[in-house]
Amino acid sequence: MAKAFGIITAASNRYVVEGMQDYRPISSFSFAGRYRLVDFPISNMSNSGIERIQVYISGNPRSLVEHLGTGRHYNINSKTGKLQLLFHDSENINRLYNTDIAAFMESIEILERVREEYVIITTSNMVFRQDFYSLLDQHIKSEADISLLYHRVDNADVSYRGCNYLVLNRQKGVLSIDMNMGNKPDRNVFMETYVMKKSIFLEIIKKAAKISSMYYLARAVALAVEQYDIRGIQHKGYFAAITDLKSYYDANLSLIDQENAKSLFDMKWPIYTHTTDSCPTQYFDGASAKCSLISNGCSIEGTVENCVIGRGVHIGKGAVVKNSVVLAYSSIGKDVVVDNQVIDKWAKIIHANQLIAEPGKPGYIRRDDTL
Amino acid sequence: MSQNNMLAMILAGGRGSRLLDLTNKVAKPAVSFGGKYRIIDFPLSNCANSGIDVVGVLTQYESVVLNSYVAAGGRWGLDTKNSGVFVLPPREKADEGFNVYRGTADAISQNIDFIDSYNPDYLLILSGDHIYKMDYDAMLDYHKSQNAELTVAVRPVPWKEASRFGIMNTDENGTIVEFQEKPKEPKSNLASMGIYIFTWKTLRKVLVADMKNPDSSHDFGNDVIPEFLSTGKKMVAYKFEGYWKDVGTIDSLWEANMDLLGRRSELNMDDDSWKIFTEDTSTPPQLFGPNAVIDRAYITQGCIVDGEVHHSVLFTSAQVGEGAIVTDSVLMPGAVVETGARVTRALVADGVKIGAGAVVGSADSENITLVAKRVKGEE
Repeated sequence: MAKAFGIITAASNRYVVEGMQDYRPISSFSFAGRYRLVDFPISNMSNSGIERIQVYISGNPRSLVEHLGTGRHYNINSKTGKLQLLFHDSENINRLYNTDIAAFMESIEILERVREEYVIITTSNMVFRQDFYSLLDQHIKSEADISLLYHRVDNADVSYRGCNYLVLNRQKGVLSIDMNMGNKPDRNVFMETYVMKKSIFLEIIKKAAKISSMYYLARAVALAVEQYDIRGIQHKGYFAAITDLKSYYDANLSLIDQENAKSLFDMKWPIYTHTTDSCPTQYFDGASAKCSLISNGCSIEGTVENCVIGRGVHIGKGAVVKNSVVLAYSSIGKDVVVDNQVIDKWAKIIHANQLIAEPGKPGYIRRDDTL
Repeated sequence: MSQNNMLAMILAGGRGSRLLDLTNKVAKPAVSFGGKYRIIDFPLSNCANSGIDVVGVLTQYESVVLNSYVAAGGRWGLDTKNSGVFVLPPREKADEGFNVYRGTADAISQNIDFIDSYNPDYLLILSGDHIYKMDYDAMLDYHKSQNAELTVAVRPVPWKEASRFGIMNTDENGTIVEFQEKPKEPKSNLASMGIYIFTWKTLRKVLVADMKNPDSSHDFGNDVIPEFLSTGKKMVAYKFEGYWKDVGTIDSLWEANMDLLGRRSELNMDDDSWKIFTEDTSTPPQLFGPNAVIDRAYITQGCIVDGEVHHSVLFTSAQVGEGAIVTDSVLMPGAVVETGARVTRALVADGVKIGAGAVVGSADSENITLVAKRVKGEE
């Protein structure tokens, strides 16, 4: 039996991704063409040998439930392992009540029954590759009570708004966990990833629930820095946090860079997803594709440059699509020019001649819209 | 077996030796095709789409890859409580020694116990190495409507080529009156596709007798069909008009891949109502670099392209380096064309590397060049 079980939390309600989020929770966002954000934490756990994985779902669950299914495509043993979907009430009048701790408390009996000694908690709005087995190993060897994973960034003044960051002492002991307001470029962005004993986890959430209904796990852990030995562990490699439309757009396009793509996608560390059995992509005479990540099932007759294209997208003859994220099954008509857009699923851009947004402020085209 | 009470058996024992080095380690049905598929995905997906729940796959030659591939029936959705894909290699039985399959009919005869355990009304016999989309349930409807004991799928071939095939001669009602194997002077151009629907009770009797017949070659074409004809069992021809290809040689395998590049490929691979299912390789989408030049191409996930690709098919995780030019070619899974190399009218086998600056194939070659071994590049 594995020593740890896994928890994947829904993205914090601090984060609002304009447009996209009206249709699905952040966990369920399409990413890098053929994936959904939740595929990354689940694959990390599955590849690390974690067999019991709980996914907390808030918001409209339809797409996520359909996508996760029995979890078989994540390589989780259907007899000895389990992918558990835990819903929590997101119909609260005040969103502030929708905290991760509230979700845990709703499933407290399930959490108490889990037999594994350790818990690894991670989130679904951050994208990275991490071997949790070695992280647990490192945690146990360090004899710390709680280990927190962080990523060192030098652009926290312009990005990662609303993310938490760790303040560490020289020995990587955590002094505090604070929210990034963009005051300083160099920060240790907290990856909302925790390793601790299940007993400590339960103690913290029960205590926090008693103190305030609005507490988050990160806040509760921050308040316990005196009580526990809490340390930071640095993550290296590809890292992206989806906190708003711009970061969603940027994170997608960052994977056009081969070095980034290689860092996130490793043959020995597969990222699993739900396959739709779409056929390969067909490129016709007059098509052009440069600096782009393109999924299967597309038919490309026009020009694609600096784009991430989802499954089954059609780019018409003479169309020019640049610097854009096009989600599955959308269609760009003949001779249409698209620049700097996030185009949601099933949208049809056929009547508009051009859709151009200024750099740094991506536009958003709604799901199923016809323009 | 709930829907049409028809069980399918796929003959997948052939070596496909005319595919040269491609079938050194894998049987022909396991050879890659069309970017992300293997040939046997076609009959298996056709079965799944036709509402057939139980499929036996008869394997013999180099069956390790093929066996493990088809055993994962979930790929085609054939893994529910009452469905499955079963690998049936020759086996030792209590009352007789270990026998290889002596012929196509013998492969079925040796598995009568397996078929009986499902008690089907009809048995569908397929070949594991043809590329086509076909609704076997519609063929079964025809079989029933004709009160036939055997229905053979046929397709019209050009008269000039008819002497290369098994030809079915029919009367005006479509009843088969004569069967000619590779006739010098064909009387009809309806070629057998090697797809048969038998009424199982009838076939079972014929097979039991055939097993004991020392003069039989235990083959459907040579023995079983002539036996049906001579004993007056009703046989009808079922005409199929769609795309069908036997990819028996390197040239025809290349050609079938090139057929996918057409404006409207006859195979309709993007038809959502009749998907071809296959292994999911967990690879990221295809990635194009700043120097990529693409015109007509068929490319699948896992590929990385930073060179030129013209009129070519790239299979899972194939790579084309900067400045490399791939024209009229097929790159099989994991094939790598390094910087500045040129590949023309060639089929590069699985995982083979074409070194930097190397040149393989040529635009005016008569045959397609098969590259099955690493080609060294410039030092």
